[in-house]
Amino acid sequence: MRSLWWKILGVIIFLYVIIVGMSTPMKPGFTGDVVPFLHKAGTKATFSVTGYNTHFTQPDTKAWLKLDSSSLVEIHDINAKSDVEAIFSVQLPTHLPTQDSTLDATLLVSNSKDGTAILPGALFITQETIDPNVTSFNNISKIDFPRYEGFAFPFRSTLHETVRNTFFHVAIWFAMYTVLIVGLIYSIRYLMRPKMRYDIIASSFTEVGVLLGFLGIMTGSVWARFTWGAFWTPDVKLNTAASFILIYSAYLVLRASMPDQDRRAKVSAAYNIFAFATMVPLIIIIPRLTDSLHPGNGGNPALGGEDLDNTLRMVFYPAIIAITLLSVWISSLVSRLRLLKDDYMSRR
Amino acid sequence: MLVFRIPRGLCNGVKYYLHCAIFAIIMNISHLYTLIKKEFDLEFRQSHALFGVLLFAACTVFIIFKAFNTLGAFQWNVMLWIIVVFSGINAVAKSFVQENKETYLHYYTLFDPLELILAKLIYNFLFIVVIIALVILLLTIFTMNPIVNWSLFTQGALLGALGLACIFTFIAALSGIDRGGTTIMSVMALPLVLPVILLLIKITAVSMGLMVDTEIGGDLMILGGIDLMICGLMLLLFPIIWRS
Amino acid sequence: MKNKQFLLSIFLVILSINLLSAESGSIDFLRSTGKIYSVVAVIAVIFLGISWYLFRLDNKITKLEKEIYNEEKR
Repeated sequence: MRSLWWKILGVIIFLYVIIVGMSTPMKPGFTGDVVPFLHKAGTKATFSVTGYNTHFTQPDTKAWLKLDSSSLVEIHDINAKSDVEAIFSVQLPTHLPTQDSTLDATLLVSNSKDGTAILPGALFITQETIDPNVTSFNNISKIDFPRYEGFAFPFRSTLHETVRNTFFHVAIWFAMYTVLIVGLIYSIRYLMRPKMRYDIIASSFTEVGVLLGFLGIMTGSVWARFTWGAFWTPDVKLNTAASFILIYSAYLVLRASMPDQDRRAKVSAAYNIFAFATMVPLIIIIPRLTDSLHPGNGGNPALGGEDLDNTLRMVFYPAIIAITLLSVWISSLVSRLRLLKDDYMSRR
Repeated sequence: MLVFRIPRGLCNGVKYYLHCAIFAIIMNISHLYTLIKKEFDLEFRQSHALFGVLLFAACTVFIIFKAFNTLGAFQWNVMLWIIVVFSGINAVAKSFVQENKETYLHYYTLFDPLELILAKLIYNFLFIVVIIALVILLLTIFTMNPIVNWSLFTQGALLGALGLACIFTFIAALSGIDRGGTTIMSVMALPLVLPVILLLIKITAVSMGLMVDTEIGGDLMILGGIDLMICGLMLLLFPIIWRS
Repeated sequence: MKNKQFLLSIFLVILSINLLSAESGSIDFLRSTGKIYSVVAVIAVIFLGISWYLFRLDNKITKLEKEIYNEEKR
């Protein structure tokens, strides 16, 4: 606990997370909606888009509309007003490669500087008659899409720059689990051998865990305000997190309301074990079974696949380590203070 | 050939708990029966406490009926469980207050702590089931009965009552209700029942046709799992904390 | 001493709430340039929370120090 190296390590890694996490650029993408959004098949569609970190004025800029997994319509008429604003015109085919009357088209824009920027659900195209014999155009494999060169975070619709919040919001939850598990271990040790030292360590770690839980909820609700549109949504994960925060707040109230030290230690150790046991189904099992706005629920991959690519991982994993180390540091400070106090009180 | 050796200490610990659980449940079933019978005897000798809790539930139902006048199925559901939770806390607290410290010391010399807590648990479970039945009856008389799928409702309610009984019994034993820890008990018990209550409200809402969920069996399983876990933890922790 | 810090933390909380309040103007500001300011807000929340905790810790240490010094004087 008293050795210095892991604290310095935590600070250095945190510095790395802040510097790399905040200064790495985003890959090119699109903000805002395409105007106008609704188009009819067979007509000439003219629409404007707003890019982010894009370079539409680049001479080799190309654009396509992707109608289904293998059908592309190339947009020849590209009128770039600036690097981030452009107006596209394209003749839509009379029959869409679908048996429905509507279709969501994806916009792809590429040039040598930006790589390929993708806007899913860019256009909403309706067709009046459905051609039963229409097939996919099968021309996607003939085109070689350029890739973005360089180190940048992936650009996701609605998330935009806030994808960087992952390093702080998610890492705080991981740190909270770690700190709470340490508290749990010391609670179990206290019940096995009642030493005041174990109770003090368990209580300090759990207290810092509650602080981190509150911070996790608050950062989450700030993030939610700018991506999902509200500070609080009736999402499973939010509600289970809230109820678990209530359970652990009761732990703090409990400790504050009991004057007798030995009894307080025993009761709060047993309560801590109980609380952790009820937290496991709350946070781990229930959100996996229901639909949620969070990634990793309803069968989606959470920390793999599309949501977290290698560039994000290079900052995300260090962020978890850094914030965990820092919170263990804070909790060890608290427990050392309390141990000193306990020692002083008993000697007096 | 590699042979894995389990540490002897761990082995003995596991053996001890298995021994406790199996012997308490199977071999000393007569003890358990005696203890449960004692609970009932005590309760009926001091029937004012029992009726006090039931009266509390009835009064709350009446207040809710007067306040709402017409109760929708959704409010019916939520009200049912809120009344059950609060009357349940009262009931369990009362069942611990009735005996004083000397009697507990007496029991401690006579019985295993596991038998004691199991007897209390079974008694409290039955009591909470009675409260649920009473509240449903009164709500049905005053307003209406929105339950469509009775078998689902019964399963959910029984599992939920078991979970509530487990949490309340353990917390009551933990907070030392006999030494005036009633406020501490409600502080600890109310947040802990949150997961059980949230699942319960969802299951009963499905049984009333308020929600459609084809995978409600999964929720029942989770509720049962939480019950099992809480119950096991209680049986494991109670002998340790009870020695004071 | 304690009162002052309490007032300070209250002030900081109110300030942060004001910054994030649901008025359209401030929201638009936080949404500008690809919502980068919401990341700033998240970091600010974490920093404020941890500072508040450190203030509390500071208070406790001061209390203990005072107790020890008083004991030594006697």
